[in-house]
Amino acid sequence: MKHKFFRPLLAAACLALLAACAAAPQAGSAFVLGDPTFSAEHEQTGIDPAQGYSGWACLRYGVGETLFRYTDAMEPEPWLAAGYERTSDTTWVITLREGITFSSGRALDGRAVRQSLERLVAANARARADLDIAAITAAGQTVTITTATPRPALLNALSDPYACIVDTQAGAAEGLAVGTGPYVAVGLTSGEQLDLVKNETYWNGTPGYDSVTVLTIADTDTLALALQAGEIDAAYGLPYASYPLFQNEGYNISTAATSRTFFAELNFESPLLQDPAVRRAIALGIDKERFVQQQLGGHGYAAAGAFPQGMAFGGDAVQAAAYDPDAARALLEQAGWVDTDGDGVREKDGQKLVLRWLTYPSRPELPLLAQAAQATLGEIGFAVQINSTADHNRLRADPTAWDVYASAMVTAPTGDPAYFFAAHCLDDSPANNGHYHSDELQALAAELDVTFDPARRAELAVAMQQILLDDSAFVFCSHLQMSLVSRADVAGLTAHPSDYYEITAALRPAA
Amino acid sequence: MKQNLRLAACLLPAAALLLAVLFARQLCPYDPNAQAFAALAAPSAAHPAGTDILGRDLLSRILVGLRTSVLATLALVAAAALAGTAAGVAAALLGGAADAVLMRVCELCLAFPGLVLALGLAALLGGGLPCAVLALGAVSWPKYARLARSRTLALLPTDAIAAARLAGDSACQLVVRHILPDVAGQVLVTAALDTGAMMMELAGLSFLGLGAMPPTAELGSMMSGGRSLLQTCPWVVLGPGAAIFAAVAAFNLLGEALRDALDPFVCQGEEHEA
Repeated sequence: MKHKFFRPLLAAACLALLAACAAAPQAGSAFVLGDPTFSAEHEQTGIDPAQGYSGWACLRYGVGETLFRYTDAMEPEPWLAAGYERTSDTTWVITLREGITFSSGRALDGRAVRQSLERLVAANARARADLDIAAITAAGQTVTITTATPRPALLNALSDPYACIVDTQAGAAEGLAVGTGPYVAVGLTSGEQLDLVKNETYWNGTPGYDSVTVLTIADTDTLALALQAGEIDAAYGLPYASYPLFQNEGYNISTAATSRTFFAELNFESPLLQDPAVRRAIALGIDKERFVQQQLGGHGYAAAGAFPQGMAFGGDAVQAAAYDPDAARALLEQAGWVDTDGDGVREKDGQKLVLRWLTYPSRPELPLLAQAAQATLGEIGFAVQINSTADHNRLRADPTAWDVYASAMVTAPTGDPAYFFAAHCLDDSPANNGHYHSDELQALAAELDVTFDPARRAELAVAMQQILLDDSAFVFCSHLQMSLVSRADVAGLTAHPSDYYEITAALRPAA
Repeated sequence: MKQNLRLAACLLPAAALLLAVLFARQLCPYDPNAQAFAALAAPSAAHPAGTDILGRDLLSRILVGLRTSVLATLALVAAAALAGTAAGVAAALLGGAADAVLMRVCELCLAFPGLVLALGLAALLGGGLPCAVLALGAVSWPKYARLARSRTLALLPTDAIAAARLAGDSACQLVVRHILPDVAGQVLVTAALDTGAMMMELAGLSFLGLGAMPPTAELGSMMSGGRSLLQTCPWVVLGPGAAIFAAVAAFNLLGEALRDALDPFVCQGEEHEA
């Protein structure tokens, strides 16, 4: 009697188990990316391109696309656009590709692009300043943009992640966006997780995964362990020190030289740094070569200026101070900074040569740069107090809280030099944290704003960097290679020099 | 004889630790803060513990880090024991509202997980080793206060105290001549047994970034700095970890030796067993 019920039950259980196995998500249909930077700390609270730097997430994770995209040489080329014509210094006529739809089903036409750009400039001050749009008109598949002033880098700006074209009528949830990319955002927990599904109507190929999840994993050691444990399929932003764990047949590492640069910004509001000799001594007292070779493990190279090699205005086009501790000591001596009490720290007029170095840990090599500088600057008579904190965005806005702010920023995210100066160095720059000012730089920036000739633009960019270096306003330490590490069963995850375009239609399970 | 040998065995590691702490600077083969060598070099004859990611000699940093950690721990334990004892004796002597208030404060402190409370306090105070010591001290004193209070309350009704009072001893004299000598033994044993745990907690705060600041060598912060290298360059973490283990073991052995020597109940127990 007992067996009469037990056997059928057992058989049913086995069948259910088999069915469950069969019904489980097909191998490779789901992809999980770990990223330490998809968070409010990096001004990416969601994927709405109009908000802060959330456009980076919109573009990186394959939801949004822009009218133009960057080539490997960081030149803009048509993407959603089919072509363009500049009919005057301030008028650009852009023709859109036919047959593209948003994931909402709405066709991409001139009107949709106009609405998207109008929404962007209304909400995003950075985009408003870069694009300087006076009027946009749309007719069919054509958009005509008229700028208030000549904007030579308009196409570069239209390739910026904030310019992802989104369907403004789709009623996207808070923080989300409806774009034309290979994946559709269906869920967001800001600072934790973004859920995407395949865009079944994608215009440029078939997405390789049914679903994609982006996990914010702020601790990069945890990120490395999650990749090893198989909890994620790929990772962005792993510490260089962990690379040896993934340099084997179980993983793919895709690397690209980017314009991401480790640089230190000097605070011109700080009484200590009013002295040009002190600023110069800091520039002379940081051993960039050792930092690159020892702490970055060779995953980069020492920087001279803001821009990397390969750009017409980058690499050794400028002359930067080389590491020279003897020259730094001599300079400080001449300026009256002397160690009178024998404690190893120089003084002048009762003031100690104490530098407050502000940085943050989410780029794991930044605290190492701080400690490397602490040692070399210590040898020439500075005492460096390091504050490595996730709260750096609040602190850097307070000029009384720091002397040196070190960060890792993309200096040419649009492939054009104007971005860096506009963002960090001019009187109205949003990230001119150290309140640096130079009349000469302001004048050259004004000229750069209206210069169309690429050769002249490069000349101006070099001259402007040289001013920054001569004033010791910034110390550019190193340019970085960016890597995406994925499991061997993932194909098509390729690092791009722009640091965008991570999740694309090419991403798929390896054959 | 057997007991003496055991006592010596317990005291030897503590003596070795003390020597290492006292002569740390002299024992260092290199300047512990000098970034003068290849980064992440494996242990070798030149660098017996290897080098860290900044190219500093790890043996030198471990020795100096041990000194930092041990001295900070001793300061912490001393501060907690002194403050707690003073509070406990005062509560017992004063009685009434003062006793009630002090003991409720103790209970309030003990109701929170100590390390979590210390974390919050250290963060509020701004980080750094002195702040970490202060934060841990602030959550560690109630244990000593309760111990001192209970011993004092047990002593107060005794004939010795009554005689002292009749002889005209002031409260201060009473404490110094009669109460503290009795309380001190137990407090000392508790402190010695507590030192290892305190060292671990201090290292824990440093590991979480709320302890020693760079370039100060401290064992917890050294382990924290090397944790991403655990799989690729394990010596960066294992060296400081082994030093913490050795120091904590030495403190625990010392604590047990002191307990054996000073606690009458333990001695009696051993005699009964014998």
